[in-house]
Amino acid sequence: MQVEFHLPSLGADMESATLTEWLKNPGERVRHGEPLATVETTKGLIDIEAYDDAQVLEHLVQPGTKVPVGAPLARLEISGAPQAPSPSVPSQPPAAPAAPVAAATTAAPAPSPKTAHARISPAARRRAHELGMPLETFARSAAGGIIHVADVEKLAPPATSAQGDARAAMRASIGMAMARSKREIPHYYLSHAVDFGPARDWLIGHNAPLAVKDRLIEAVLITKAVALAAARIEGFNGYFRDGRFESSSAVHAGAAIAVRSGGLVAPALLDANQKDLPTLMRDFSALVMRVRAGHMRSGEFTAATITVTSLGADGVDVLFPIINPPQVAIVGAGAIREQPWVQGSQCVARPVLTLSLGADHRVTDGRLGARFLRAIAELLAHPELL
Amino acid sequence: MEPKEIQTKLLALLTGVAPDIDPASIEPSKNLRDQFDFDSMDALHFATAVSEAFAIDIAEADYPRLASLEGAQRFVEERLAAR
Repeated sequence: MQVEFHLPSLGADMESATLTEWLKNPGERVRHGEPLATVETTKGLIDIEAYDDAQVLEHLVQPGTKVPVGAPLARLEISGAPQAPSPSVPSQPPAAPAAPVAAATTAAPAPSPKTAHARISPAARRRAHELGMPLETFARSAAGGIIHVADVEKLAPPATSAQGDARAAMRASIGMAMARSKREIPHYYLSHAVDFGPARDWLIGHNAPLAVKDRLIEAVLITKAVALAAARIEGFNGYFRDGRFESSSAVHAGAAIAVRSGGLVAPALLDANQKDLPTLMRDFSALVMRVRAGHMRSGEFTAATITVTSLGADGVDVLFPIINPPQVAIVGAGAIREQPWVQGSQCVARPVLTLSLGADHRVTDGRLGARFLRAIAELLAHPELL
Repeated sequence: MEPKEIQTKLLALLTGVAPDIDPASIEPSKNLRDQFDFDSMDALHFATAVSEAFAIDIAEADYPRLASLEGAQRFVEERLAAR
């Protein structure tokens, strides 16, 4: 059957993207999970992966065009029933798929093409696209008249350097997602200090005989512990959508990664609870390299079911992280520092890690949150279990 | 290997693991963490690249010596001289 392939939403903060390149031409076949096109977003270049095995029939959008989330990009011929664009790539059971479609098509504040056509001249529309201005901007100010190119340029934001633009766009999209989070999600916060000594000793022993490229870092142990705890204790892994919590059986751990030009992204480490540490380390390493190179994949952007954010060695003790909607929990890891720690009746210096949890009160309470944090701490106390 | 050659190679390795930094902006004496917000993964990527390119082993305890481009230069020179 023939289906339209739409621009998926790559996170709560995305409204549109510019198609930069088609990776498959009409007549070519594409497999499930294979990149079909590359789009440019405020977070950099992202390869959009196909949901089904299919043949490309027609491109509906040409490179260089900016399109809203949910806009049709291509027509495909698929065999069998179409897979809805799932936020959880390959191995996800078919429970979650339906909602993301709704998210992709209704969440986008896509301007109604009819209204836009009626009030904005084609040249003005083109210019608005070039300037990255949503057509809604003009629909409101049209007041019955027709918007021409000059009107568009009058309303255009002042031009700045390309890098400044990218930084501003990144800040704006983070701001939008976080404002939505703070508006919609009743957060509660917990924190718990952990003696990271056992994990650090284990890590040193594990890494010592290995070549540099095969060594693990602390963030991987923490991420694995969070993923295992999230799989065991219900209520922190999944999405809150359409007024209810949808638990996810797969744990895709979003890893908050700072982007050097400003801002941050939190793409997912897929099935983090099921991968052994060396595999998770390789995935994490490759993910960071894709972020640094500014070229990521759509699957990893939409997949995260929970997020982990680490401040790293030069950070501070505790962070109070904000949930990335539609997720329901985020775990923060402060900087690991030597601190006084009571062991038996002695006060000793230990490397202390303070874990924090930002969780959604619509789904869980502090009591369960405490169990969740304690489960993570317990796993870090027994790193051989990771 | 000449110091100049090591320097050129180190610069290429650094921009290889951090393609998002401007090579012209690098201050060799400055800590990469302060200068480019290097995290532990970036540091590991750089250590891996240096270890492989110069065929030298780098213990975890030696990572701090790769904190700046100049530090890395001294470290590599020492290791190559000791061979």
